[in-house]
Amino acid sequence: MLDKLKDNMQSKENTVEKNDLFARLKEIKTAGIEKINATFLPEELQLVRANLIGRKGKVTEILKSVGQASPEVRKILGQAANEVKQVLSDAIDQHNEHLLDSLSSVDGEVDITLPGIVPQQGGLHPITQICYDLNDAFNSLGFEVFSEPEITSELFAFDNLNFPPEHPARESMDTYWIKGHDEGHGAKRLCMRPHLTGASVRYLQQHGAPARFVYPGRVYRNETTDARHERAFFQYEALIVDKDFSFASGKILVKTILDKVFGRDVKVRMRVGYFPFVEPGFEIDMLCLVCDGAGCKVCKHVGWIEVMPGGTPHPNVLKAAGLDPSVWSGFYINIGLDRLVMMRYGVDDVRLFHSADLRFLNQFK
Amino acid sequence: MKLSLNWIKKYVNLPKDLTMTKLSYDLTMCTVEVEDTVSIKKNLNGFVVGRILTVESHPDADKLRVCKVDVGDTEPSTIVCGGVNLAPNQLTVVAVPGAMVSWHGEGDPVEIKPSKLRGVMSYGMICSSNEIGLEDLFPTTQPAEIMDITNFDIKPGTPVAEALDLDDIIIDIDNKSLTNRPDLWGHYGMARELAAIYGCQLKPFDKVELPKTTDGLSIVIDSKECCARYAGLVVKNIKNVPSPFAIQSLLWRVGVRPISLPVDITNYVMLATGQPTHGFDRNHIKGSIHVRRAFAGEKLELLDGDILTLTTEDLVIADEKAAVALAGVMGGKLDSILSETTELIVEVANFDALSIRRTAQRFDLRTEASSRFEKGIDPQRVDDALAVIVSMLNREFPEAEISGYVDNYPMPLEEAKIRVSLTFLRKRLGKELSEQQIDKYLKSLGFEVSFNGDDMLVKVPSWRSTGDISIPDDILEEIARLMGYENFEYVPPTVVLEKAINQRGACMERALREYLAFRCGMQEIFTYPWIEDEYILASGADMSEMLELSMPPAPNESHLRSTLVPGLLKSVFTNLRYYESFRIFELTQIFKNNNYHSINETLEMLPNMARHLGAAFVGNDARVLFREAKGVVEHMHTGTQMEKLSFAQIQKPMWAEDKLWINILLNDELVGEIGLVSPKVTRDAGIRRSVTVIFELDVEKLKPLASRNNVFTHLPEYPRVNFDLSITFDESVKWSDIYEVAFKTGSVKDVRFIDEYRGSQIGENKKSVTFRTWIGSDEGTLTSDKIDLVTKQIAKKLNKRLGGDIRGL
Ligand SMILES: [Zn+2]
Repeated sequence: MLDKLKDNMQSKENTVEKNDLFARLKEIKTAGIEKINATFLPEELQLVRANLIGRKGKVTEILKSVGQASPEVRKILGQAANEVKQVLSDAIDQHNEHLLDSLSSVDGEVDITLPGIVPQQGGLHPITQICYDLNDAFNSLGFEVFSEPEITSELFAFDNLNFPPEHPARESMDTYWIKGHDEGHGAKRLCMRPHLTGASVRYLQQHGAPARFVYPGRVYRNETTDARHERAFFQYEALIVDKDFSFASGKILVKTILDKVFGRDVKVRMRVGYFPFVEPGFEIDMLCLVCDGAGCKVCKHVGWIEVMPGGTPHPNVLKAAGLDPSVWSGFYINIGLDRLVMMRYGVDDVRLFHSADLRFLNQFK
Repeated sequence: MKLSLNWIKKYVNLPKDLTMTKLSYDLTMCTVEVEDTVSIKKNLNGFVVGRILTVESHPDADKLRVCKVDVGDTEPSTIVCGGVNLAPNQLTVVAVPGAMVSWHGEGDPVEIKPSKLRGVMSYGMICSSNEIGLEDLFPTTQPAEIMDITNFDIKPGTPVAEALDLDDIIIDIDNKSLTNRPDLWGHYGMARELAAIYGCQLKPFDKVELPKTTDGLSIVIDSKECCARYAGLVVKNIKNVPSPFAIQSLLWRVGVRPISLPVDITNYVMLATGQPTHGFDRNHIKGSIHVRRAFAGEKLELLDGDILTLTTEDLVIADEKAAVALAGVMGGKLDSILSETTELIVEVANFDALSIRRTAQRFDLRTEASSRFEKGIDPQRVDDALAVIVSMLNREFPEAEISGYVDNYPMPLEEAKIRVSLTFLRKRLGKELSEQQIDKYLKSLGFEVSFNGDDMLVKVPSWRSTGDISIPDDILEEIARLMGYENFEYVPPTVVLEKAINQRGACMERALREYLAFRCGMQEIFTYPWIEDEYILASGADMSEMLELSMPPAPNESHLRSTLVPGLLKSVFTNLRYYESFRIFELTQIFKNNNYHSINETLEMLPNMARHLGAAFVGNDARVLFREAKGVVEHMHTGTQMEKLSFAQIQKPMWAEDKLWINILLNDELVGEIGLVSPKVTRDAGIRRSVTVIFELDVEKLKPLASRNNVFTHLPEYPRVNFDLSITFDESVKWSDIYEVAFKTGSVKDVRFIDEYRGSQIGENKKSVTFRTWIGSDEGTLTSDKIDLVTKQIAKKLNKRLGGDIRGL
């Protein structure tokens, strides 16, 4: 529009003064737009606005001088100046909006590589974590969680479990007997429980059969400690008791644990093993996850790693639990949680679990 | 236990195509765990027989010789060697260049290269027995002695393993897995097991003639409860000479050191049959042999030179004058086979497992014999041992005479018979088996079976009847393991769906742990239930109510925790080495010598074993730590679905200082305490910097809720406004009083503590308390006049009742 106007004007005989005003108007417009777009702060933009179209702005000055021009020019010039004012005003508004939109609420420079702020630094012990993971898995299969106190009697630790009377574990070198309660036999002789299995008979005596339950906990053995041996350690035991339960169904317990812990389908095998409270008894191996059975250092080149014992409850154990072994049968598994956590994370010293050392525990969030 | 494959093969023909990998796998799956198999031949790879032709001195070294050695090549090799017994015509062992050899019979093979020794090229090495792992078979008498095998007439260049007939594989069985299988503690037993696994024929022992006369031998079993059978042989005209190499070699392979022919024969019998035997010098035995308990304080010098002082629990073999052997463990030094022995009494006896174990334990003496007797050997095995020993004597000592035999077997072993129902077998195996199949499996293991309808009667072989097999379930296991456990596919169990599991107690315990860890940012720890006395003493806990271990891990760790505080103190102490500020908790059982109760069995009285929750807050500002600990307890019910706890100062914990402590209550019952650990306790626990606030709670007393108990309150219809007030009070005024007054003012909906301040502007014994008050109305929005009014009312009431002073109001 402005260019067309200027052409019109030039085709006529015009004064130098008028030509100057049009040229200035054009210059103000071009420079104005440039200035507007080069402005980065809204406050600056307000200054630019005042400078261009404010009361003392450049365009306003021209508008004011229109009155002195000849009537035929006055109209065209006024129109042109108003047009420029409008264009600049729109540009300012548009740029202002743009500036406001892209404005940061942060003053100054920022370093986005700074570390995040650490959330609450609490955590469960790694043994508790794995134990709860397993509880969840077994809960989903309808297993209850049971526990017995840590001091038990020879009756529940050994007699009920078909340990022969002369079994070495009954002797003081293997089991922690309680002073003042270590003279008698059976129910009168108290010890720190040497394994969890005694709790199975407690549960069955209380609840009867059929039964599905797990009973995790800490057990105690009188041992010389080193990186692989502890006096206090954690076990996880599960028992299912049902009518005519075949040992071939016992694998479900093994798989539930290993698949949960290692987060994948773990291949297992059951082979002959002897434990007083089971018949038949098994040593249960899992395929070495490091070499997939090919043989490596971790599995001592066997391809399999012994992970837990298991088996059908011995008839004498069922009898002790008040169940008829000709009717009831089932399957036990027992796994060492310390060793499982060690395998899972590559922990190299079992004594760390009872160290209360936060440098260790803080690693398991 | 080590077994020689060649020795096993004397008794059974194994399948031709059987690899060691398969044998190990099958044995591990069906019977016992094979830990390792070692090829002796492989370990001797690269070593060949060499004949020394010439020995000359080395031009530049006094101790070295330059030998020409025939190692089977067309030309003799030049070998430099420092051996002190090098001699022309000697046969020895040479490692030739290019051979890969394992030194000392172990480790990764290394290559032999020609090398220059003091300027003379040497093509190979002449070896000592020690360098190739054969020092027990070829003992040296002086240092730097090369292995001399001149006695063996072998062509130079022959591989040593072949020359010495050492192409054998040693099977190493995990002893633990053998505990319950006394029948497998000899090569014959393992041969029998493999015969059953692979369906091969087991060879019987040689039939032998035993003398009909006693030749003056008399055996008296005084302790019948410890000795079921004692057989003795009198053997005349023997010599204490070294065994032939073949016998030495067999013993050596399975880890038994060859000694002399008579001794080696007794060991051979044991390794073959699992039945230990012992030889006495007949001329040293005066009168009858007695099997009796030792007299208190009786002395006996054993073969290893130890002199034992025996107890009346120990079983000995004695003659009329004194003990001559520690029964089933070790012979006596004075009366066993001696260098001048020419007449023997050979003992083949059965001793009680427990008695032998006790004695072996008492004197810390685990021998090949005791470890076998401990497992419980059947008395029938004496017959096997007698058969082997007689045929060995006949072969190795043709000139000897077996002149006397006595078998004192007062109570022959009863045959064990088990009745098994076929229905039971089928159900538990989850498989249908024919009578023929069952018969085949059991027969191969030595059982005899007769069927009668659903019943079968199984006769247990003597070698499996000493405890191993006694009930139908044992028979089931025998069949299942021979069928192969891998051949039983997984059968998903069927279940009956009943009520959902609802275990409030277990859920609350988990909720508590998760609340502390995840909402309160605390780290769970575990400590031992026994604690060092120094921490108990530091905590001031009452030792008299603690239980003690009979044999504690350490003398100062005999007490079981009755409170979690000592363990927390120790954990604070250890962690302060690395951290300045931290929060830890432990939820576990405590033990007290009181409140004995039964849970299953009335005779079983168990002590107090409440679960406790203990926590420690460590940092610099005691007031803040205390409020933090209090906050954790105050809000505990919100995350854990349990009844709300309250606080009151009733009884100061022993370990807390005077000002900062409070008791935790549930429905007016004391359930725990919070406190700042006192400076003395801190010092006694070795804690040097930082302050510690501890709380301990009796988890048994907490009450889990059946369900969540939150209540919904309507959202206020009209907005609430809040304002802060800072009011100065005397130190004696408590926040709970301020709260009470402010809260009970009209329109007040909530009052919360913000801050307290002490300082010179406020004056001595004064504090300024800042709190925020929310006010509102259900009828409409409060006007500013009304807000002003309530503000003034609160200030006025606090002034009037508690002496609160607010400037400007
Ligand atoms: Zn592996």
